[in-house]
Order: sequence, then C-alpha cells, then structure tokens
Amino acid sequence: MPAVTTSAPLLESSFLRQLDRLALLTRRPMAGDIQGERRSPRRGASVEFADFRPYARGDDIRQIDWNLYARAERFYLKLFVAEEELQVHLLVDTSASMDWGTPNKLHYARQLAAAYGYIALANLDRVSVTAFGTGPLAAQLPGVRGKRGAVPLFAFLQRLQPGTGGDLARACHRYIQTARATGPLLLCSDLLDAGWKDALGALSSRPFEITIMHILAPQELEPDLDGDFKLIDVEGGPPVEISADLELIRRYKQQLASWRAELESYCNGRGITYLPVDTSVPVDEFVLGRMRRRGVLR
Amino acid sequence: MSLISPLALLAAAVIGPLIVAMYLLKLRREERPVSSTFLWQRMVRDVEANAPWQKLRRSLLLLLQLLLMLLLVFALARPFLAAQGISGRNLILIIDHSASMSATDEPPTRLQAAKARAYQLIDQLPDGGRATVIAAGGRMAVPAAATADRRELRRAIEQIQPSNGGGSDLAPALTLAAALAAREEDSEVAIISDGNVTLPTNVRVPARVSYFPIGRTTENMAISAIALQPATSGQTLFVQATNYGQAVASRRLDLYLDGALFNAYNLSLDPGREQSIIAEIPAQVQVVEARLAGDDALPADDRAFAVSSVGEAVTVRVVTPGNRFLETGLSLLPGIRTTSVPTSTTTFSETVAQVPVTIFDGVVPAELPPGNLFFINPVRSSPYFSVTGTIEFPLLRPSGGQEPILRNVSLSEVSVLKAARIVPGSWGRVVVDSDGGPLLVVGEREGRRVAVLAFDLHESDLPLQIAFPLLLSNLMNFLAPGSGAEAAQLLPGQPLSRQVDEAISEVRVTRPDGRTVSSRTGEVQIQAGQAIYADTDALGVYLVEERAGEQVVGRHRYAINLFAPAESHIAAQRDLSVPQTSGASSTVSRERDSRQEFWRWVALVALIVLVVEWLVYQRNGLAYLRERWRQRRSTGSRPARS
Repeated sequence: MPAVTTSAPLLESSFLRQLDRLALLTRRPMAGDIQGERRSPRRGASVEFADFRPYARGDDIRQIDWNLYARAERFYLKLFVAEEELQVHLLVDTSASMDWGTPNKLHYARQLAAAYGYIALANLDRVSVTAFGTGPLAAQLPGVRGKRGAVPLFAFLQRLQPGTGGDLARACHRYIQTARATGPLLLCSDLLDAGWKDALGALSSRPFEITIMHILAPQELEPDLDGDFKLIDVEGGPPVEISADLELIRRYKQQLASWRAELESYCNGRGITYLPVDTSVPVDEFVLGRMRRRGVLR
Repeated sequence: MSLISPLALLAAAVIGPLIVAMYLLKLRREERPVSSTFLWQRMVRDVEANAPWQKLRRSLLLLLQLLLMLLLVFALARPFLAAQGISGRNLILIIDHSASMSATDEPPTRLQAAKARAYQLIDQLPDGGRATVIAAGGRMAVPAAATADRRELRRAIEQIQPSNGGGSDLAPALTLAAALAAREEDSEVAIISDGNVTLPTNVRVPARVSYFPIGRTTENMAISAIALQPATSGQTLFVQATNYGQAVASRRLDLYLDGALFNAYNLSLDPGREQSIIAEIPAQVQVVEARLAGDDALPADDRAFAVSSVGEAVTVRVVTPGNRFLETGLSLLPGIRTTSVPTSTTTFSETVAQVPVTIFDGVVPAELPPGNLFFINPVRSSPYFSVTGTIEFPLLRPSGGQEPILRNVSLSEVSVLKAARIVPGSWGRVVVDSDGGPLLVVGEREGRRVAVLAFDLHESDLPLQIAFPLLLSNLMNFLAPGSGAEAAQLLPGQPLSRQVDEAISEVRVTRPDGRTVSSRTGEVQIQAGQAIYADTDALGVYLVEERAGEQVVGRHRYAINLFAPAESHIAAQRDLSVPQTSGASSTVSRERDSRQEFWRWVALVALIVLVVEWLVYQRNGLAYLRERWRQRRSTGSRPARS
C-alpha cells in the first residue's frame, strides 16, 4: 500500500481546536531544560513554596528567609518548586511493515504523533520527534517549542517516508543512550519485530513515561485469507506458506490475542502504558475518547 | 488374490506422475504480501511442533487423489479371490428341499443353510454369468430359469419351501440339468443337498457337477409306521419306531387318544433297529397320535397319526357266476363289504356313495353301473376296451418302476393258461404286459377308475400264490380309495380324493393347522364325482366333511404321515456319484479355480474416497456454512429486537 503523501493537512483544524483543551498527564514531576509550566523535581523560582535549607556560601542572599533568621538567628534559604518545560519524545516506527493496511498504519502513526505533539506544544512543552526504520540513521526533529513549533512538527511528520525495515530494539537502545532529558515518551509502532521485548526493556531502563501505541491494521486483526498462500514479508523476513481456512484463521486470532496479552502484561510490569490501536477507528475518536479514558491525556 | 487384467496397472504408471506433476504445478501458491510474517511464523511453528503430520495435511488432497487413482486402476485390473465354489458361466443350481432338509442340525434348518450356500454361489457367478435354480426332491420346480438377474435369483431361492412329500428323487432335476447344460458351454451343475437322494444311473451330465453337502448330525429317531385296525372289541393300534441314527437312542413314545395322553413307552433302540408297540384302543377313539418325546434333528417324523376306520366299510358289488378265490380274497381285506349279484342283473339302481365299486367276473353287461369298475376275464368289448381274441399261454411281463398296483407283488411264478386279447383305450396304463397283449390294465376315465384283468382266475395259478391277496389289496386300494384303515393314511403330497355323488353340494377340508378350505372357494375340487384336495404337504390329520346343503352328510378323517426311511436317514453323504461326460462320477467338493471378483467393492471404496476428497477440498466452505448455521441458530433463539 502506498504511503500517504497527500498535501492534505495531517489533522483537521476542528480537531486541533479540540486538542487545545487537552493536556498531557504525567504521573511524576520531570526535569526539563528551561523554565516552563511543569512542576520539576528541582527547586527553582515559582510561587509555590517547597522547602528550607541552611545557607551555604555562594548562595543567592536574595533567597534568604529573613523572618526565619529573626526566629532562629541562622540563615536559611527559602526554596520554591521549579517549573520547567517537559521534554516530550515522539518515536515513530517507519519500518516497511508500518506502511501497510487500510487505513494505513504509518499515516495513523503520523496523526497520533501529531496530535500528541500538538497537545504538548500547546502546553509550552518541548517536542522532539525521532523516526526510525530506514536504517542505522534515524530521522530526527531535535526539538520544537510553543505553538509555533507545530508547523515544523507537522511538516516533519508529513515528510516521513517508510523505510525498508529496521531493528526496533537497536533503534530504541540508541535513542535511550542519546536522549538528554527524560519525559513523556510516545512510541507509535506495530511492534511486529522479534525484538520487541528487548526494545521495550531498553526504553524502560530510563525513567521515561512511556506510552506504547500498538498500531495494527484491521487486515492484521482479521486476516481475510482463504486458500493456499505464500505470505511475503514486506520487511524481507522469511516467507510463510499457509493453507488458510477458518480453523487456521481462528488459530491466528488466538495467537494474536495471546501476543497482545503478553505485551500488555510486559508493559504493566514496567509501568508502561500500553494502548492497542485499530486503524479502522478514526483518529480523533481514538485521541479524544480512548486516550483520555486511559489517562494519557487530560 | 490375482488380477484378471494386470495390464491395467500400467495406467497407474501414466496417471500417477501426471497427478503429481499437476499437483506440483498447482503448488505454486498465490503470493500475498503481509506487513510481517512474525505472527504467522510463530503460529506455524506452534502447529508444526504440535502435529508432525501437519505437513502431510497440506498434501492430503494429493494423497487422496493418488489413492483414488490407485483404487480405480486396481478395480480396472479386476482383482479376484480364488474361492472354493463354482467357476462356470452357466450355473444350474439344484437345491434339495425334501423333508430331510428340514432337519435342524444346521441352524435354523438345513434348507436355510442350503439357501445361504446358494446365495454364496450366486455371488460367485462371474459377470454376465447366468443361473438356473431347480428345487428338487418332492415336487420339482424351476423358480428361476437361465437368468443373469441376481435379484431374481435370490428371490427364487428365497421362495423355496420345504416339501414333505415326494421323496428325494434327483432324477428329474438332473435330467433337466443335463439338458440345460448340454445347450450351453461352460456350464456347471451345483447340487446343494444332504445327499440322501436317489440318483439316476442313466443320465450323463455334460458338465461338471459339484456337490455341496449340508448337514452334520446323523442321529434321528422316527416313527416309521402306525396303523389302527378294527378288532373284535375296539381297535388295535400298531406303532413302529425306528432308530435311523448311528448310536443307541432312548426316547419316550407317548400315545394320545383324541388329544388326551393315553400311555407312554420308554424305547431304547440300537442303531438301525426298530421296535413295535401294539396296543388295544377303545372303539370310540377317532384319532391316535404317537409322539416321540424330546427333540431330535428332524422333528417332522417324530409324530404320526392314525385315524379310526370303524364303521367305514366300502361296499363292493361282485357280479360273478361264482368265484371262491375272489370272494375269499375280498373278505380278507379290511374295510370291504361285498354284495354278490347274479350275472343276470342288467340294471343297477344304487348310487356311487352306496356302491362305489363293481367287479364283473366273466360278464360284461350292456349297461354299466356308476362307480369304479373291475373287469375280470371280459368276454366281450365294452366302452373302455375291445376284446379281439384270446392269447394262449401268455408270458407275464410286469411293468418296471414304482407301480403302486404291483407293490409287494411278485408275478414271476405266475402262469396263465388263456387270456382275452384286449385293446384298451388311451385311458389305460398297462401294468402287466405279455407278448400277445396287455394282461392287466388300470386307468382313469371321466373320473371313473377302471381295472381290467384279462384272464380268468380259474385258468391261472395266480390265486394260489401269495401275490394274489396283495394284488387284490392294491387293486382295491386303487378302485376304492379312501376306504379302510390303509386308505385313511396318505403320504404327504398325495392328494386326498373321495368319491361323492350329486347330492353333496360342498366338501370342506379342515387342515392340521386349523384352516378350513371348501369346494366353494375352489380349493377343493369336485370333478366327475370325485372330491380332490391336493395341498397335503403338511403333516397331520385332515378332516373331510361332506355337506348336502347345510347338513353334514359324511365326515372322514385322513392322516398324513412322513413315513419315508430315505428322509429319516439324515446322515449327510460326503459324496454323490453322478456320471459326467468327463468320465468323473465323484462330485466331492475339492479345490477349485473359482474366481470371486470384487472390483465392485474397490470401485465403491474409490467412490467414497472421491467424496472424501471433495469434502476435503470444500472444507472451508463447509466450515463457513456450519459457522453461519450456528450463528443463525444463536440469533434465532434470541428474541427479535423491536
């Protein structure tokens, strides 16, 4: 199936207006680079009191709490909760297997990433996008900030081309090693890779808040096959010869269900939010309904 | 197992590779790109690990097609099993259905076993082979003649019923079989019997004769004779039991008088010996039944009946100038009452019922009386014969065969001085012949029985010999049937006949099984003053009622017993000696080159394989239909949404 490269906007403007009202949910404070609107684990300048600490040489004397000095005759600094920006990581799998299905899985992944990124940008968070699947080098959008950043974000996502194939686990390892700040991480992939466990394990090795968008096309959920086929892997995997009948399809579905159950339990064990996605569900319905219910958005 | 046309197997060498080649061509599966074979691989691995034959399943269709091809080729090669049986294309099946075939040593009966054997032989018939079924022994019947229709043959065999009467003479059947076999090549005669049969010596069968013996046991005890004679006071019963087996047998003989147990005797008989019992029976007893208690292989001969003949004498009118020999001879016969009439009598006013027999000794009146007639030494012609002269010193030549008139009669010592030369009409059969002309002629014409003895008793030494009373007795039995104790006993199959006069409008016969048949329905025939009932195969007592209007005029009982030593000897013979044109006379079953083809079964299996192959090919469609049906049922049970 050809990649969707139309000039039509990635997301409808009415949908974007709805997204304006949403915000990302994080379970714990995250450190960012510069000041922003999110609680940070660090102490900094805001109106929200956090703690006292004894004065040490070199501290800014403007932060000394003089009232406390009057009582205790010691210098104490008054610390406030820092409010910093969030670094939102969008990981899009552009391997060949993603460029498949009707509706197209890659396009769906683009839309999901765009919606998630737009919400983050609307909340003055920094968004970086990494697409992998084309090979050892991943296409990257280093980081955009603010609503103005939505334009380059959407343009970048639009430009994404499906690759030939890729090693999901290796890409994730590389990303974990190079990413500077942790933060919410959205992985849009079909995980149809033998190394999915390795990949998720690598991502969870750093304190990201990971959300897995497990995107599958309806043709994968309910294969419409009847007869003898030689199944060709678009990523160049070994072909499989099957004689499809209802019994085989039934077993396939069983297999699929058990795999998804395995994925879900693996993710739950590592604090990863796992969201199965069926591309036949419209993207706005999914974002506004399913993702909010799941607690990814607010 | 061998093949008739093994060349057909070559077809497998051609078609087999063709199927495989086509299958290999077909094996190029349609290629279908999928996002990933990751899941499929996992599944196929699972399946292959669980079921090693899964790979085979993929080629199940190929295997089925190859199997189908092999079966068809095999059927074309016409396989057959060498079986013991028959090999001819024209089978003549002679099934013995005489009384001894009712023996129960082959469950349920020998006849059923014979039928089962006959079915087997029919099944062994080669394709296009024809068969003729002959039921022999007793009345011969040909229920199926030269037909290839196996269903008809089976039906014909099934219809064969045991026959008590008529003995076990295979001569007519073998003569017919020989004639049929001569007409066609590759014939074979199969005799299914217990072997206790009379075989002809003058028939040479132009085909192979196979004999399939039926029967295992040899032990049988029978009542071989029974007689009830009037005595001075009451009646005298004579019963004889014979052990036809090969071991000592002990049975109890029960006597029933009119259905009530009268006496019982314990008998112990050596093989081949008989024992007689004589008992005094009250005069009013009508029916005596002798029964051997217990079971043996042939139950039919374990019972015998005798009926009383008290007060049933037959009046015989004797027109004679005086014949002491004749009068003495007649007076010795039981159940015969004689009235002498002078020779000058010219008119006879009595009816047939009153005087059924008239004997003319040396006279031939112008007007003959009604009833049966016996002419002795006729002096002039009559409507039945003409007298053309005399024969001097004729030499007596008794006719051969089983002539009932000459039963137990030996005429070899008899000399005759002078006899009338008579020329009988076509009605008569010559019993005793001579060079000059027949000496004793009996026959039947227009319902009237006539006997003619051509010589005067005084001009021969016949009356001085023991043959005379016996001949006279036989003649009187012929002329006055249904009279006396002897006449009231018949063999199965022998017709009941009784002379009736015009006053009798209906004759009813009550059979031993309780069924009543009447002359009104035509089952009892009244022809020319004689009532005849022929269906007497069942053993027991038959009651004949003569009715004039609604009134019962006469009531007579007849007993039908199976007194046939040939039938009571039930030991199966291992071999039959039937002369065949090939020179052989033994018919013992030996190893034969019979071929039992079974390509039909192979073809049937091939058809089943074809159906299975189609089902396998359509399995998805079938599973889909099943799914649909299940869905429809589950939605159908739900209440309809409004």
